[in-house]
Amino acid sequence: MRRRLTSWCIPLLLGAASAAWGQALQPLPPIEPPKTEQVELGKYLFFEPRLSGDGGVSCDTCHDPATGWGDGKALSTGYPGSEYFRNAQTLLNAAYYKRNYWDGRMAGSDLPTLVRDHLTEAHFMQVDGRLLAERLKQVPEYVEMFQKAFSGEPTFGRTLTAVAAFLKTITSRNAPIDRHLRGDRSALSAEAQEGLALFQGKAGCAQCHTGALLSDQKFHALGVPENPDIFADPFRHTTFRRFFRTLGAPNAENYREDPGLYGVTKEKVDWGKFRTPSLREVSRTAPYMHNGSLATLEDVVAFYDRGGGQHRNKSPLLKPLGLTAGEKRALVEFLKSLAGDPVIVERPELPDYTPRKLGQN
Amino acid sequence: MQTTRWAALLLGGLFLGVGLWTSGALGEGQRDRAIGPLPPVPVPPDNPMSPGKVELGKLLFWDTRLSGDASTSCASCHDPTLGWGTGQALSRGYPGSEHWRNSQPVLNSAYYAKLFWAGEVTSLESQAAAAATGNVAGNGDPVMMEERLRQIPEYVNQFKQVFAVEQPTIELAWQAIAAFERTLVSKAENVPFDRYAKGDQPALSPEAKRGLALFQGKAGCIQCHNGPLLSDDSYHNLGVPENALFESSPLHQITLRYQHVVRGVPEKVYRSADRDLGLYYTTKREEDRGKFRTPSLRELKYTAPYMHNGVFASLEEVIEFYGRAGGTDPNKSPLLKPLRLSDQEKKDLLAFLLSLSSDQPLIIEPPNLPDYAPMK
Repeated sequence: MRRRLTSWCIPLLLGAASAAWGQALQPLPPIEPPKTEQVELGKYLFFEPRLSGDGGVSCDTCHDPATGWGDGKALSTGYPGSEYFRNAQTLLNAAYYKRNYWDGRMAGSDLPTLVRDHLTEAHFMQVDGRLLAERLKQVPEYVEMFQKAFSGEPTFGRTLTAVAAFLKTITSRNAPIDRHLRGDRSALSAEAQEGLALFQGKAGCAQCHTGALLSDQKFHALGVPENPDIFADPFRHTTFRRFFRTLGAPNAENYREDPGLYGVTKEKVDWGKFRTPSLREVSRTAPYMHNGSLATLEDVVAFYDRGGGQHRNKSPLLKPLGLTAGEKRALVEFLKSLAGDPVIVERPELPDYTPRKLGQN
Repeated sequence: MQTTRWAALLLGGLFLGVGLWTSGALGEGQRDRAIGPLPPVPVPPDNPMSPGKVELGKLLFWDTRLSGDASTSCASCHDPTLGWGTGQALSRGYPGSEHWRNSQPVLNSAYYAKLFWAGEVTSLESQAAAAATGNVAGNGDPVMMEERLRQIPEYVNQFKQVFAVEQPTIELAWQAIAAFERTLVSKAENVPFDRYAKGDQPALSPEAKRGLALFQGKAGCIQCHNGPLLSDDSYHNLGVPENALFESSPLHQITLRYQHVVRGVPEKVYRSADRDLGLYYTTKREEDRGKFRTPSLRELKYTAPYMHNGVFASLEEVIEFYGRAGGTDPNKSPLLKPLRLSDQEKKDLLAFLLSLSSDQPLIIEPPNLPDYAPMK
């Protein structure tokens, strides 16, 4: 009886909280479905290592469906000869972001350019777009698929569009939270419902994790502990310095912490700020934070419970929460309800290069 | 015996006057530059030599970190034990690709005014940069490679000593590699022909001496292979047969089309691309289709296979090719004419060609490379 009352009250509380903190939690809106033929082609290209400079790295190398569409590592791998210095984010629901990457340096409205950045950047796949197009033209199956998807031959631009179309299909489906928000009172356990109340109340999570994506899409400094590997591992530090040099951030060789948004804006107030990630599917995407320094959801909840870390730009929204052990468990339980049915995509069997008739290009 | 001595004397005398009689005899109306020992290596004023720079350049020449995925160094395609090339018809490419041309020997490359098979660059410094960053060669990102060098304390010290800079830069790395390459030259005392040219008559066999005469006379080789480098540093179309790999190898076909794209040819040329167009990519002039820069003939004993696409496995094949006036091509050089060489003349020519190589190949052992270390 009491449980039932709680579940009735939640939506009301939710509305009140969101009035103060921004957009209410809501189910993910549908994305306008991309052209089926482009999605099908994009799926092949997603798993295609010939989209990388040395033919050894594909999108799924760091965004593996089997590890929550990330790589399950604290810091991502990067191109051979390099190591990356941030956590590979899940691609689940990536198409919903206004800004992409942890520092928001890419516009979410332009997914093909986000794909381009991954393909051509020296620390990711380091391919030349012109070479890539000629490789794809060497695969008759791809020539046919491009014809169906674009009424034309393989090009770099169409490649980006096709992968972006596929990305739009990697979205949460049937998450308990969405069933709950649509009125299914049995969708969340009692503990998860308690967690939801904490999320929007005492724990203050919804100050930043709001809206359908559970992200305000803004930038905050939390004082997340630095991952010392970025500076101790020469491969990562090399990538790190090159990255900030190419962004035009000054004096990058002396940085001993990840400056986050500062690298993009060069504003001191943005030092150490990162874009709020979505919490959807979060139970599948460990480890956590921009540098993977927190291994489990329990660690994350404990981190916020202490008011976050130490940082001169730390958000004033972070305060010690005084959560009980039971409340922490309830929060984690709620976070787990944000994961929908697993989005499994089988790796397709990739077609081989085939000799072409010389001189008929 | 008497005759041989006479012939030697005669040939020696002819050699000294080589510039006078060869071109006249061939009716080209211009003198070919005399062949002979190499002069001191030319050094550009903005990259003077120093022992420290050469030592640094040697390390960098072998350092695979000067490529995209840290897999490929200069030495990967310019292996001292393979005549400073790859020993293959077509050079290996960056992983995931195949190269489309024969890897040329680095030996004596300091004497060229134009590098790569179609003379695309004009200095060893720019050649190193182009090779390390080219997408089917080194595929390196300049800033990434530079940051890698900065992560290696020994390199930081060496750049400081050699160039008086606080941090390595990639441009200085190319300078150091070029300085090292300027030390990779044939030494006259090791090359029979050079010894002969300096007055050591027995340095050339009678066969080779007859070959020298053919080279400068009947066979007409010197029309293009002249000067101390035995290259006119100019471009000619010989009608070299195509390498059949391009008909069957997907990776070679990809690179062939890719080269047409990056070199900005008109779409019509791309659509029909079936061969390496050589100098045309640079000039876009129809008459330059299929022209390649004359390679040096020095050290060719160690640098098989031959031609821009490595299509000839042996020097005998090369001589046969020229004997029949080269191949067939609308742009073929008018300098190529049937030579009607006898079997003995072919052997003589071969003996002379072999005398242009050092007695032993110049081999340098790979150095031990310094490691990365965390930065303070």
